[in-house]
Amino acid sequence: MLKRDNQFVLQTETKAPGFRVELRGTTFRLVATGAWTVAEATVLDEELSRLKVPIPPTPDFTGEMDISGIAEIDTAGAWLLQRTASAWQRGGLRTRYAGATESFRILIEEVHRKGQAKRPEVEKVDPIQQLVDSTKNAVSSVWRDAVELTSFLGEVAAATVRQIREPWRFRTISFFHHLDHAGLRALPIIALICFLIGAVVMQQGVVQLTYFGAEPFAVNMVAILALREVGVLLTAIMVAGRSGSAFTAEIGSMKMREEIDAMRTLGIDPMDTLVMPRVAALVVALPLLTFMGDIAALAGGGLMAYLMLGIDPLNYVDKLHEIISLNHFMAGMVKTPFAAIIIALVGCLEGLRVEGSAESLGTHVTSAVVKAIFLVICIDGIFAMFLAGVGV
Amino acid sequence: MIFENEREVVIRVRELAKSFGSHQIWESLSLDVHRGEILAIVGGSGQGKSVLMRVITGLVTPDSGVVTLFGQDAAALTPAARLEIEKRWGILFQDGALFSSLTVLQNIQVPMREHLELPQSMMDDLAFLKLTMVGLPPNAAHKHPSELSGGMRKRAGLARALALDPEIVFLDEPTAGLDPIGATEFDHLIHKLQQTLGLTVYMVTHDLDTIFTVCDRVAVLADKKIVRTGSPAELQNKPDHPWIEEYFCGERARAASPSEERLVIG
Repeated sequence: MLKRDNQFVLQTETKAPGFRVELRGTTFRLVATGAWTVAEATVLDEELSRLKVPIPPTPDFTGEMDISGIAEIDTAGAWLLQRTASAWQRGGLRTRYAGATESFRILIEEVHRKGQAKRPEVEKVDPIQQLVDSTKNAVSSVWRDAVELTSFLGEVAAATVRQIREPWRFRTISFFHHLDHAGLRALPIIALICFLIGAVVMQQGVVQLTYFGAEPFAVNMVAILALREVGVLLTAIMVAGRSGSAFTAEIGSMKMREEIDAMRTLGIDPMDTLVMPRVAALVVALPLLTFMGDIAALAGGGLMAYLMLGIDPLNYVDKLHEIISLNHFMAGMVKTPFAAIIIALVGCLEGLRVEGSAESLGTHVTSAVVKAIFLVICIDGIFAMFLAGVGV
Repeated sequence: MIFENEREVVIRVRELAKSFGSHQIWESLSLDVHRGEILAIVGGSGQGKSVLMRVITGLVTPDSGVVTLFGQDAAALTPAARLEIEKRWGILFQDGALFSSLTVLQNIQVPMREHLELPQSMMDDLAFLKLTMVGLPPNAAHKHPSELSGGMRKRAGLARALALDPEIVFLDEPTAGLDPIGATEFDHLIHKLQQTLGLTVYMVTHDLDTIFTVCDRVAVLADKKIVRTGSPAELQNKPDHPWIEEYFCGERARAASPSEERLVIG
């Protein structure tokens, strides 16, 4: 804010803002006093808008903004003066300023110059049109996703064939790095979750089956459920949330910083360096994790069976031996490489689709997790129908 | 209020020390900022130019030393007093730091909405006035930051920094990343706004053109302190320090230094 004559006025010395209008000879004068600053603007705005534009009885009447009483002024104050002066001008009064210091004059002139521009209105969108548009976009994006994912699958398949023919292209170090991060380091949390879910399912099963006196069969239920569905699904969902999102974030932030473009110009194929090691690592890691998840779920069930049914661990293992056949185990395991491919593909593809902004990275990480989990469940459903069809 | 040689000192920094881990960036740094001047902070990279701005504005806490803002000790301020002081300055970050979910006009209104109770129509008008004052075209008002060029983002950031009509503006590398034409225009804009609004401008910069065209005073950060302050011409004529000599008397400086008097902007 500007102060009169560059004197330093203490806050308490500054008078409250105000103005009065008087007629002297043939001049309408607006005498402004005090601090015309943004902090006082609301009050001033209200009072000024109540002020009527004086109507000149004859054309030789003029207007004057006497600001010699203003101690402090800033853009907001100058804008209020400008608005009033412009209104008077339009009403037929030639209006000028009196009592401005040099610094006040510069500010007021600048505000008068810049205050003429018209503010464009916000474009209003018809809500029905908006609804139609967003529906159209949502539907067409599903189709586009399907096409892109399929073509990406094709690219990965082609890259796989190429790497089998030219094995030296395979990035071993990168592969082991991702195997460590997506596999080994995920083990504790996946084992814990599967253990707990196994225990919970056993507990619920025992409670419900007690009504039919069939509580020992809870063990059958848990064993088959764990091997065929729970172990696979839980592991895949955890990995999608943990590693799929990490893939998107890693590749996406490289994309944002133009690292991927740099790779391409250096003759390095991001498919070989970024996508293939991740896909391969997940295809190896997910079956292993699922196996551990199965064991953990069975162990959780075993704990509950001991606590609720009094089946001691050795008996429990014997029972499992009777119930489980290799078919059950394989019915679960056969799904895992497919789930791994889906998670890795969606993660990498979403990463490559990231554009310049941090927002875009966030959106793509979210959609990678959502799409990966959705597709894993779809695959699981398809396998369930298929396996039921062939009678496994 | 602190005065020195009849000039009011708005920011006084005394014996500041700061280290990050084992790396000490300043040992004993002292600096005065006078009311109404355009001060440039220069120095090699890693000398903590931006960190100094962050210390003054309270974003980073120094290890020791005193920062005095408008005559008040920054360390002893109550949160309410601190807020009052924060309303008296505006900061332009390097890339504008605009809120990406808001339009330009809404960005400019954020400080007004937060600290003042103004009617919406008045906020719209005032924000639009600020927008035209920083030289943005009217149609930029309802655009989002992602739709603007780098130079326009900086202008919009400056408009937001000026939203409350502050007394001091901090500019972090205002011309970095702009093409020479855009940078020159931005220099003119800073000079003009300084004249119009009576601002005190504190800027971190590398740009020799900016220093020679608009800055009243330059403070040089080297050897873990401010080694010298003075007008650009003084520093060029009497460097007294190897870094200053290299900076102000090098090839680029000779190209940038004014052949005549300081540029007069009408």
